[in-house]
Amino acid sequence: MKLLELKNVTKQFGGLTAVGNVSFEVEKDSIFGLIGPNGAGKTTIFNLITGIYKVTEGEILFEGIETNSMEPYRVAELGITRTFQNIRLFKKLTTYDNILTACHYNARYGLMDAILRNKRFKAEEKGLLDQAEQLMGIMGLEDRRNVVAGNLPYGLQRRLEIARALALNPKLLLLDEPAAGMNPDETARLMALIKEIRDSFKLTVLVIEHHMDLIMGVCERIVVLNFGKKLAEGTAIEVQANPKVIEAYLGEEEVVVC
Amino acid sequence: MDWFYVKGILILSGINLMAVLGLSLLTGFTGLFSFGHAGFMAIGAYVTAMGTMKLGLPFIPALLLGAAGAAVVSFFIGRLTLNLKGDYFCIATLGFGEAIRLILDNVQYFGGARGWPGLPVVTNLTTVVIVDVIGVVILANIIRSRHGRNFKAIREEEMASQTIGINVFRYKMAALMISAAYAGVAGGMLAHLLGFIQPKMFQFIKSTELTITVIFGGLGSISGSVIGALVLTSLPELLRTFASWRLVVYGAAVVFIMISRPQGLMGGTEITFTNIKKLFSRFFRASGEKAGGGGR
Amino acid sequence: MSVFLQQLINGLSIGSVYALMAVGYSLVYSIMNFSNFAHGGVIMIGSYIGFFAMTAFEIPFATAFCIAALGTGLLAVIIERIAYSPLRRRNAPFLYFIISAMGVSIFLENIIIASPIGPTFRTYPKVFGTTPFIVGGVNIGRLDVMMFVISAVSLMLLIFIIEKTRTGMGIRASAYNLKASALMGVNTDRIILIVFGLGGILAGIAGVLFGMKYTVYPQIGNITLKSFIAAVFGGLGSLPGAVIGSILLGIIETFTSGYLSSQFRDLIAFVLLILILVLRPRGLMGKITEDKA
Repeated sequence: MKLLELKNVTKQFGGLTAVGNVSFEVEKDSIFGLIGPNGAGKTTIFNLITGIYKVTEGEILFEGIETNSMEPYRVAELGITRTFQNIRLFKKLTTYDNILTACHYNARYGLMDAILRNKRFKAEEKGLLDQAEQLMGIMGLEDRRNVVAGNLPYGLQRRLEIARALALNPKLLLLDEPAAGMNPDETARLMALIKEIRDSFKLTVLVIEHHMDLIMGVCERIVVLNFGKKLAEGTAIEVQANPKVIEAYLGEEEVVVC
Repeated sequence: MDWFYVKGILILSGINLMAVLGLSLLTGFTGLFSFGHAGFMAIGAYVTAMGTMKLGLPFIPALLLGAAGAAVVSFFIGRLTLNLKGDYFCIATLGFGEAIRLILDNVQYFGGARGWPGLPVVTNLTTVVIVDVIGVVILANIIRSRHGRNFKAIREEEMASQTIGINVFRYKMAALMISAAYAGVAGGMLAHLLGFIQPKMFQFIKSTELTITVIFGGLGSISGSVIGALVLTSLPELLRTFASWRLVVYGAAVVFIMISRPQGLMGGTEITFTNIKKLFSRFFRASGEKAGGGGR
Repeated sequence: MSVFLQQLINGLSIGSVYALMAVGYSLVYSIMNFSNFAHGGVIMIGSYIGFFAMTAFEIPFATAFCIAALGTGLLAVIIERIAYSPLRRRNAPFLYFIISAMGVSIFLENIIIASPIGPTFRTYPKVFGTTPFIVGGVNIGRLDVMMFVISAVSLMLLIFIIEKTRTGMGIRASAYNLKASALMGVNTDRIILIVFGLGGILAGIAGVLFGMKYTVYPQIGNITLKSFIAAVFGGLGSLPGAVIGSILLGIIETFTSGYLSSQFRDLIAFVLLILILVLRPRGLMGKITEDKA
């Protein structure tokens, strides 16, 4: 079943076409890759999907619902969450607080409930605390619960950002260069983690990456972008063998081809 | 120093505290800086005065009316300005704060620039303390809930907050309206302490004093705001003998704080039983190690 | 018709002084991205320096004028060193700069009040003579002409420095991107000092002119809130914008005062500010900044 569809999506900034007429579909429960040289428009597509940018032309459909004009928080409510290329954790808050904050969506109590400290507040708040504990456990972060997020080692920061994104019980998780700055060992562990959360959280995952071994090892289907346009699409093997893709990446120092 | 004098200072501190608490939610916890909150105090003052003088309301309902009035005005201001970026929102609040004062200067119904005398003097220490306690409890309960966490998230990373489902605009508006309501209550209490209000009392300098107090106490700390308000209101009063030099010292002190300890007094932490216990246990553990003669 | 022209002249005159003040603001904003609220205090000090130079020390106008300008240039640099560069070094958020600036402004205003100088209003001696020029039935005060001329000359000198000198190029580069300029070998610390110095000199000139047209008092800094509005109107960070915004503000204010009432004169400035922020926050010619994801 098609979870996410981009139809002829174009994004222009003044005279610059960041994304030009891009179309692709992401199947439910799959792990989908988005690759391309720097500046190809990958993060722009993430920003378009999550509502941070508005499309100039085209449509984005999530579970059949058009999300073009939605505010980012509405898109998150629909079930799409993400991580950022430049890690946007709540750096001054602890690991625990980062996750607990994100759990907010699973409670419904209002300001008055909080002020009056009534039964509804107490019950729902406990639910949030429990959920945060659970999530920390699953993501292996409990021993760092009181560490300020900005002080975590880089790899754990990325993992925390993923944990935070998972707190909303999303249907689609967007990961923007999750392996950036990681060594091969960490990358392998990340690959296992992505597969594991896809299975246990019943998610669909869309990944932007430059680490070819991660992309090829994890992604079932891949779209290649170059200069904002779709260059190729297919399985890992198909894309790797595609001469146009090879040409686009020639001289690209960040590609680590196994 | 006689009790009457001290009482006066305590009442003034308590009134300022109310405004500072509200601003603390907006600035300290949500990260929005306002240089126009004196304007909301002014609205609260004048609406409360309308309540007691023209509508014959008792003091407390009039205060609530004042708070509501300030909150309503803040709603409209928020609609216009909350979408602006950081600096520009700041400047806009400055603009509105001054505009409110200048409009009041020109509205003869409220006495214009000469002010509105003859208000009932009903603010006393008991009222102020009760109002302050309620104010602190409400704020603390808000902060220690998912809403408080969401405010803090917006302060830390606005964009990321959006992507975890926080309706940033709605929360900013809530913070603005609550802070305006608090300022309105402060204004109303001030009006009925002095028995007289004048637009001149709510100038830009008052707004900056409020913001400076929040920073002095430490952004993101309710206890900091409480202590800050008490210290910064009473100190100038106690130093009144030095007249104009106290403002010179004040200005220099502000610069000094910003360059040496910008995180303010409390640096974002609170005085709670848990924290006091932790502080004590750390202290005892440290001296215990020393006494035992053992190093690490 | 002559009333209209008269008002126009008045508007241009005050507008040109606002322009001097506003350009100083925008200059600092363009490099450091913060609104230097201490600028008003520096202008006020300039006004006093000029006044005392001329009255207590009986220095002729031209020299007193230069002393004031250089004095405030120096003051601005000192303020930068004490109140802002420690914050810059630790990458403090812009609000801290603003608060520090306000501290400086409060300090300056009150040190004058507390000192023997005191809060009394002072009047500059009349330097240019009081008989106005009469052009086409309109009175043009000599002072107004001089103010306009001095402002224009100062601004042209500034533009020359910025456009035609190497230092100016450094300033323009830093305004565009401070960090990148540093990486390109621009001595950004020095540039910042120069920018503050230039802003300070402009402030001194503005202070003297303001003092000559009106009076000298410690709260002059508050008037400069108007020039700040003018800078926002023209677009924070844009120097030509600051000039245009100031002239327009001066004219709008004078016409409001003349045709409506002087009560509304201050209010109109803030109404204008609100309108700009709501309709077009970047002003007439300001730069647009985007938040990158």
